Amino acid sequence: MQERKERPDESIGLRKLVLYRDVVLTEAGETPAQPAWRASVAAVIRNPWLGTGPSAGLSAEQGHIAPVLAKLLTDRLIAALGGVDEIESFGKAAIVGTAGEIEHAGALIHTPYFGNLVREFLQGESIICFADTRAEAGETLIVPLWHKTHAATRSHYQTISARVPDAPRADEIVVIAAASTGPRPHPRIGDRMSDPVVTTQSLEAVPS
Amino acid sequence: MNVRRIVTVVEEIRTEGGRALERPARIAVVAAVIENPWAGQGFVEDLHPGIEANASDLGALLAPAVLEALEAPAEAYGKAAIVGLDGEIEHGSALIHTLKFGDHFRKAANATTLLPAVEKRGPAGVVFDIPLKHITDATIRSHHQSFEVRVGDAPHPNEIVIALAAAAQGRPQQRLAPLSTEQ
Repeated sequence: MQERKERPDESIGLRKLVLYRDVVLTEAGETPAQPAWRASVAAVIRNPWLGTGPSAGLSAEQGHIAPVLAKLLTDRLIAALGGVDEIESFGKAAIVGTAGEIEHAGALIHTPYFGNLVREFLQGESIICFADTRAEAGETLIVPLWHKTHAATRSHYQTISARVPDAPRADEIVVIAAASTGPRPHPRIGDRMSDPVVTTQSLEAVPS
Repeated sequence: MNVRRIVTVVEEIRTEGGRALERPARIAVVAAVIENPWAGQGFVEDLHPGIEANASDLGALLAPAVLEALEAPAEAYGKAAIVGLDGEIEHGSALIHTLKFGDHFRKAANATTLLPAVEKRGPAGVVFDIPLKHITDATIRSHHQSFEVRVGDAPHPNEIVIALAAAAQGRPQQRLAPLSTEQ
């Protein structure tokens, strides 16, 4: 157990961390060829920009808070999924409480202070796909995931839900990182290499 | 026993009531989504064969998993059975209200008390609260607590969600006088 003095809680206004992990053992009655573990980790923090208005700059707090969150969340994801080498896809998300702006959620997940570090900690190369919303406590957010080095890998397009029952309060933000160790349970919708060329000219019946 | 999914939730509370905790408060839940052993059989009078076939296996699956997720000795615990809409609450109760299920957890956690429980029927994604009490003395007031869980996409109408919960401590910032002070 970490000593209190080593914890970053007070400097980033951290209230709690919630891990959700899921493994599908059978889907549609059959065991997946590659059973995948999926996980999300959510951090509930105080919104540092409350009451600052839409013209206020966000960068100082971004640079201070987002890297700490990137480390806290990815440490837990890696531990929950059996090591960084096991992780094949990733995603990120934020839910801002009703007294904040969506821009505040974006400030914590859409800049290099979070995204670059999450990518580095999870040893990925892709842009990280995301979801964000403003909501009352207990909202379920569907977090998209895609492949961490080859984003167009269709078998790895999947989602995981994240929900903290008592967060975000109006003055809080929930910041989420998510990952998976493999594809959907029974992926069979082809990929870009096997796709036919589909255009309005190539179809016998053009949608109208 | 046909298990479709296993879900793990771990909560780590750092601050409560605006005040930092001395140590993070940890609660873990592990839930198995299983096919209702009595699905499609109409009213089954004798549930005993289904209990024999499943309850002990479920306890053996969930008890070590929830203690591993907690990463600390358990001080409080609880259990849940959430039955899909086509089943009876009696089906969920059958699987968790037997020593064959709970003794796995008691033995692994060095516990002695009865496991408090929630039994409920609902659609996939239904929210349920698992009650937890102290593992050796159910009158220890500091450890009375509950934990909210939601498993998206479960239970389907023919499924049951069976869960165990463990807490490494009582409530965060617990400061109520013990029961003995009122007796």
